[in-house]
Amino acid sequence: MKEVRGEVQGDRISLILSGRIDSNNAGDTEAAIRAIADQAPGKPVLIDAEGLEYISSAGLRVILRLRKTNEDVHIINVNPEVYEIFDMTGFTQMMTVDKAYRVVSVEGAEEIGRGANGTIYRIDQDNVVKVYNNADALEEIQHEREVARKALVLGIPTAISYDVVRVNDSYGSVFELLNAKSFSKILAEEPEKMDWCVKEYVDLLKKIHGTLVPKGQLPVLKDTVLSWGEFMKPYLTEEEHEKLMRMINEIPEDDHMVHGDYHTKNVELVDDEVLLIDMDTLAVGHPILELASMYNAFIGYSEYDHNNVKKFQGFDFETALEFWHKVLSAYLETSDEKKIREVEDKARIIGLIRMIRRSIRRKGLETPDGKAEIELWLSELKELLGKTDSLLFRSNELDVEATGENLSKVIGFVTAFLEEADCPLKTQMQIEVAVEEIFVNIANYAYAPEQGNATVRVEVSDDPVTVTIQFIDQGFPYDPLAKQDPDVTMSAEDRQIGGLGIFMAKKSMDDIAYRYENGKNILTMKKKITG
Amino acid sequence: MSTSAYQHIDLHMHTTVSDGTDTPSEILSRVRDAGLDLFAVTDHDAIRGCSAVISARREGDPHFLCGAEFSTRDEGGKYHILGYGYDPASAAILGVVQMGHELRMNKIRRRIELLAETYGFQFPPEEIRALLANENPGKPHLGNLMTRLGFTKSKEDAILNYINKVKLRTEYIRPETAIRGILFAGGIPVLAHPTYGSGEELYMGEEMEERLRHLLEMGIRGVEAYYSGFTMPMQKELLGYADKYDLYVTAGSDYHGKNKLVVLGDTNLENAADAHPGVRRFLMAVSDRII
Repeated sequence: MKEVRGEVQGDRISLILSGRIDSNNAGDTEAAIRAIADQAPGKPVLIDAEGLEYISSAGLRVILRLRKTNEDVHIINVNPEVYEIFDMTGFTQMMTVDKAYRVVSVEGAEEIGRGANGTIYRIDQDNVVKVYNNADALEEIQHEREVARKALVLGIPTAISYDVVRVNDSYGSVFELLNAKSFSKILAEEPEKMDWCVKEYVDLLKKIHGTLVPKGQLPVLKDTVLSWGEFMKPYLTEEEHEKLMRMINEIPEDDHMVHGDYHTKNVELVDDEVLLIDMDTLAVGHPILELASMYNAFIGYSEYDHNNVKKFQGFDFETALEFWHKVLSAYLETSDEKKIREVEDKARIIGLIRMIRRSIRRKGLETPDGKAEIELWLSELKELLGKTDSLLFRSNELDVEATGENLSKVIGFVTAFLEEADCPLKTQMQIEVAVEEIFVNIANYAYAPEQGNATVRVEVSDDPVTVTIQFIDQGFPYDPLAKQDPDVTMSAEDRQIGGLGIFMAKKSMDDIAYRYENGKNILTMKKKITG
Repeated sequence: MSTSAYQHIDLHMHTTVSDGTDTPSEILSRVRDAGLDLFAVTDHDAIRGCSAVISARREGDPHFLCGAEFSTRDEGGKYHILGYGYDPASAAILGVVQMGHELRMNKIRRRIELLAETYGFQFPPEEIRALLANENPGKPHLGNLMTRLGFTKSKEDAILNYINKVKLRTEYIRPETAIRGILFAGGIPVLAHPTYGSGEELYMGEEMEERLRHLLEMGIRGVEAYYSGFTMPMQKELLGYADKYDLYVTAGSDYHGKNKLVVLGDTNLENAADAHPGVRRFLMAVSDRII
């Protein structure tokens, strides 16, 4: 009969179903299937359902009975309507049922992004498709969907794919992206928006790096970087390699999110919203690991061939240099060139080992341009290794859960800045008292009875040397300064409980101010450090 | 006998009295071979097969329960209603059987007339008489006859290209008629293969529950939640309704002999003794009628 074709292929029964299977032909269909299946009793069955337009309940029963005699039934190329029936009736739980994928062409489509694993094209006004390099990308697609969903739950604005399609010999995932324009395109076409781009780009980056990820949900980026470090062993002296590995190992475990491929093609302006895309590299780790891949995207890969950035991002190398410098300055919240250069060098060390490894694997030392590139990068790396002792840089912001246990972490964080500024011990202790009072106050009351995070930000400015410490929480709006100061002339027994801590903070700092802004309590205190 | 002694049960099968291919005594010997503890014969709109089984039974044979399956229809759709444990001599059940038989006979007569009018097939009168002498002749019987008379290539060809093409307004027993007839005869009405409607449809979720509620108003008392053609989600959904509406639960294969490749005794219920409690309550309710 025409609805059933098939044969036994080795240890497998191969069937092709087509047309409609309903009560009119279910009996014949079953007889035809049995005639083939009985030649290899109990063997695995592979059913190609590409031409199957409809299956009624009588048809379902035929498949069900086949499943009773042959445990391993796998149906492929199922059209969406038929798949829905299989899914609703639980067949997808009893056997492997693979959907047929819509075929999408990207010929002539605008390329809007390119990442390590694939290329993103706009297929129409409202939709984009990410085509994966790997032909067997279904697992990667699944992974990216999962991490994008996790990121969204954690508050990162991103698009989640709603469909998987076939593109040429590979797979693609389709996203809705209405009227989107990537930051690369904005930088290329509207250079006057540079500063706006820097601000939005850094705000989103800080949001990503400020997002705590529950343990085990995302890969640990440091592990990958360690493997790059191991790869470098034959190309460095023993001493250099030991130093490199020690510095990578010293990067602390960090449960904050990193994007892993944070360049301007992966940041889109959608209407008025800034959206992050291409989430498959999402991980957790220290921000230096992110800065390394950003350095590569804007500068590293184009250092010797400035056309690379033009090809990849659409803007020229000068724009890339300016943008990267401004981003780093805004991210570190400093205009101190020495400090910016210092962090850039740390990022370059990781960036370079990644590029060297990539070049060795892709081009090899045997090809002329591979050899030139690799030798130059290696000499740079060796030079940087000679003058760098740590890959850590201090962020002036600490984001922790506001609990009493984290007090020592907060104090240690603030003290490091004070020590660097040669703050006298007495002033240091006064500041510590204030920090303790304010943080404990947040830990006890801001989110009670729940818990939440607090951000501590430290800035040291010159002339005269002054430290500014900010506490930010998203708890109940509360102005601790509004409370009347306790009457300290009264005896301890007569005094009202509470209020004393804030009083002490006020006393020990030069200035203390409170404001409530965008759902956040912001307490700012300042003190002059006199040497 | 305690209901827990019935472990392997199959309460839905057809004999030659309707569209099965095993005679009542053949089915009895198959039931013996299959090692069933309890079985019921449920022919379409007919109960004659039951008396045939009862007279063929011998000492030590599997236990038996009288059954029937009525094809019904109303404004809400088509329903197959199973009836169990009725008094086979009751005028109430015989009335429904008679009505079903007449409707079927009218239908086949009308169909033969229409085929003759539309395609010019000349059915010899003695063949028509022989066909109508069957208990409940249906499309397969007619298709076989047309093939034998050389009108068509095969039974399927006859059904697909001729019999199904002539549209006739068919009359059905209404579900409340069948349900009331079963209840008045002291039996229990149960909705057959609920998810599959009258065999070809697929009802799940709200649609399924709405159909069930429609029949509950008429007095349906149980659902065939264990069925050879059901998947786990279907079974689970129906057992959920059994809990929600306090219904009896039955298990059936819908064995038709060679007409369907269903294995006798395959009901997706391994052991009735540790099934949903609705099964045991059903067996207790019909225990007086089990022989």
